[in-house]
Amino acid sequence: MLKITNLHAAVEGREILRGIDLEVRAGEVHAIMGPNGSGKSTLASVLAGNEKYAVTEGSVEFLGRDLLALPIEDRARMGLFLGFQYPVEIPGVTMANFMKLAVNEQRRFRGEEPLSAGEFLKLMREKGKVVELDAKLTSRAVNEGFSGGEKKKNEIFQMAMLDPKLAILDETDSGLDIDALRIVATGVTKLHTPENATVVITHYQRLLDYIVPDVVHVLYKGRIIYTGDKSLALKLEKEGYDWLINDYAE
Amino acid sequence: MELYEIIRSLPSIDGPSVRIAAAEPMPRAAIDPERLHVVVEAGAAASLVVLHTQASTASIELEAGEGASLEVIEFFAADAFAEVQVRQAAASRVRLTTVEAAGGNLRCTTELAGRDALCETNALLLAGSDEHTELTLRTNHLVPDCKSRTQVRGVAGGTATAVFRGLVYVAPDAQRTDARQQSRNVLVSDTARIDAQPQLEIYADDVQCTHGATVGLLDRDAILYMRQRGLDESQARRLQLAGFVAELLQECAPEPLCAALREAVESRLSQL
Amino acid sequence: MSEEKEILENLAEEEYKYGFTSDIETELIGRGLSEEVVRLISAKKGEPAWMTERRLEAYRHWLTLTPPTWAHLDIPEIDFQEIIYYAAPKPKKRLDSMDEVDPELKRTFDRLGIPLEEQMALSGVAVDAVMDSVSVKTTFRETLAAQGIIFCSISEALKEHPELVRKYLGKVVPHTDNFYAALNAAVFSDGSFCYIPKGVRCPMELSTYFRINAAGTGQFERTLIVADEGSYVSYLEGCTAPQRDENQLHAAVVEIIVERDAEVKYSTVQNWYPGDKEGRGGIYNFVTKRGLCRENARLSWTQVETGSAITWKYPSCVLLGDNSSGEFYSVAMTNHFQQADTGTKMIHIGRNTRSRIVSKGISAGRSQNAYRGLVRVGKGAENARNYSQCDSLLIGDRCGAHTFPDIDCRNRSAVLEHEATTSKISDDQLFYCNQRGLKTEDAVGLIVNGYAREVLAKLPMEFAVEAQKLLALNLEGSVG
Repeated sequence: MLKITNLHAAVEGREILRGIDLEVRAGEVHAIMGPNGSGKSTLASVLAGNEKYAVTEGSVEFLGRDLLALPIEDRARMGLFLGFQYPVEIPGVTMANFMKLAVNEQRRFRGEEPLSAGEFLKLMREKGKVVELDAKLTSRAVNEGFSGGEKKKNEIFQMAMLDPKLAILDETDSGLDIDALRIVATGVTKLHTPENATVVITHYQRLLDYIVPDVVHVLYKGRIIYTGDKSLALKLEKEGYDWLINDYAE
Repeated sequence: MELYEIIRSLPSIDGPSVRIAAAEPMPRAAIDPERLHVVVEAGAAASLVVLHTQASTASIELEAGEGASLEVIEFFAADAFAEVQVRQAAASRVRLTTVEAAGGNLRCTTELAGRDALCETNALLLAGSDEHTELTLRTNHLVPDCKSRTQVRGVAGGTATAVFRGLVYVAPDAQRTDARQQSRNVLVSDTARIDAQPQLEIYADDVQCTHGATVGLLDRDAILYMRQRGLDESQARRLQLAGFVAELLQECAPEPLCAALREAVESRLSQL
Repeated sequence: MSEEKEILENLAEEEYKYGFTSDIETELIGRGLSEEVVRLISAKKGEPAWMTERRLEAYRHWLTLTPPTWAHLDIPEIDFQEIIYYAAPKPKKRLDSMDEVDPELKRTFDRLGIPLEEQMALSGVAVDAVMDSVSVKTTFRETLAAQGIIFCSISEALKEHPELVRKYLGKVVPHTDNFYAALNAAVFSDGSFCYIPKGVRCPMELSTYFRINAAGTGQFERTLIVADEGSYVSYLEGCTAPQRDENQLHAAVVEIIVERDAEVKYSTVQNWYPGDKEGRGGIYNFVTKRGLCRENARLSWTQVETGSAITWKYPSCVLLGDNSSGEFYSVAMTNHFQQADTGTKMIHIGRNTRSRIVSKGISAGRSQNAYRGLVRVGKGAENARNYSQCDSLLIGDRCGAHTFPDIDCRNRSAVLEHEATTSKISDDQLFYCNQRGLKTEDAVGLIVNGYAREVLAKLPMEFAVEAQKLLALNLEGSVG
């Protein structure tokens, strides 16, 4: 589904990603871990298509297409979803309104008919259950006045609504208490199918207790320096990153 | 148009002059009034809807007695000229929501003549094609302890010009005045113009008076967020702008009037 | 400079320290203005014919105008025919060094606390001392000349570099600009001319001192600064003036041209006679100051205004060139019966231009202090950026603080932000200071200083210290 080859990216002239190779197949859950500043969020932003970052080398193939040639919205319409680390507020724009537009855009892209108001409401109620979303939040402005936990739940709610092929979750667990973490993680797991894939970017291991990864990568200074299975995450939790960095980083 | 239907279905104001002595549940409507004088007596509450459908002149006087409450919605569907004078007694509360959606020139002067009075003004200037839309507000804090809140948002497209002038005047003895004014504006074409002049004229010292004015200040990150959900740049901008404008109309009137107003505004926005 | 600081420190009474008149022989042309007077001024200065013509053109235009009245100022009527338009100390002979300066003149400078010798020896600041409309001597001319920097009086510049003056004079502030600019263009007496050649970084801060001496003499200074491509100069303007009973009009014009890639910093500390406690007398300071910026040019205006009976000025930037930027930092303090209507205009024309405005007004006594500003973004000013913050502090309840900004935008990609706050010093802040042992008057001084800090930080160091003292001085008697 996703094939990243030798990806280099820079921001304001500084190179952050220095040659990333990664392959994600349908049905897989990948975890990307690494110390702060290693480039995890940058990778997420570059895949999503944030124009602030310049790709200086390499290629990315998504569902057989050249991802880097597409603008942000086309990548999204193809089925790429980014769960933001810091979801922004959009004053005056209700969640419901926003989601209706987004859902119908994607349907239009796929050649499907847009949902009627009634069909859409039904979809919202159904998907809201995935993250135990308070129905009142859908009539509030997007993320406005939401707590940290509500914002992250809202990201997963949107993921449920948009049903992406590939979901990249950027530090979805940061700032969450135990209950919120459980709800968010359970939601992600519920949405996982053999047809889609998830890339979970996280600094801590605890999210991975709920969202069990098939593959764990460690990103350090813009490169993936080690790849293992879920036991790697546990080892990192116990021993930190130093052992890995000493042995595998240049 | 739904907004028109709803307004026409409301009880109208009998004659150019009316006194309201009790709390009225329904808003009263005036369509293209030439002269209007409404007095809300002490302790009473009323709401008023004024609709301008012709390019005519209106002279409106509003008085709120002690502890009275008055809500006014004024919608300009034509290039009308309206002069509004508001006089507030102690502890009264007046909220004016005005939308200039087809040219229009509103001059509104509010006198806070009794202590602890509150004046809220929310105005939308939506100027398109070659319209000239003007809003001139003057808020006179004549006595101590009054509050005024003014929020004006302007969107100008086509070759239109939207002008906002807002003077907050604080008299020498109007201590503990709390006056805040915000004017936020967006240009949506390369040939439109916004001119914002928020002004403060202050002669008392124990006051909190602030104003702000911005042009073009909309969050770029929000656009990015929306694009990642599949909306293209122009769709995202339109949605953000719709939100920018809608924010001012939250709970501005009882339903279904409020929803109809929001719809009328959204429809107007899409024309700019 | 250090002597002047000392003087300020010792000042405790209301009488304006510099309220004295020196009895130097001054040559006065009779009162009133006419074409003859204009010609006479030009002739006395030995100006080229084109300059005389320009003055006349300005004078004729001035005759068609009336004094503007739109400001938030109460200006008593000025009788322009009562003013003496030219006064120059009679030169005894040509001066080559300080030793040959008129001893009376030298004594005057000593009382002002700016002995040129000390200036030369210690601070390294070149001083162009203007005495009643005629420049006496410019120092450090040789040092600057080695770099090709010209710093002299306008009169001298007209003699020695007429082509430069002709090229730039009136380009930024034409005589048609406004009533007082027209008057100035007709009768300007003298002022500084400064030219920095391409790529040169002026090694010292240039400065000018003014004094108005003879009774009823209007001071019409004209300053022209040209920073050629890639150059840099920091210019200081500081004024003192004697005590007078009749108001004295000061209608100066300052023009600055910042060529591409160049940078000019213009700082002013103004302490002119503000009138007595009853509001009598005092200088009228009606100034037009404007700079033109070409590509990548930067112009920064910093002012601390504490004097004058009436201050009326808007140092402005015309951001013509792409990527140019303008800044305006101001502390304007009014006390007793002073009035101020001051601010700035930032005109964005080129692409990617930026402007920043920080204005801190302080009103005390029965004064009126208004900020008036314009940020205008033209159609072609892609990506213009402006940030303005205009705050007013009220000390006492009999003064006024006013804010009149105008944000006028014709470009959809511009982002402009303006904020203004008006309040008094909070009781909480005062209580806090009192509780820590400070008496209220000192607390107010401290708080005002903190309030003005952002602006004071923009001044060259010597000026910043003098400015702080000026602020404290002017606060005296305003608290309680």
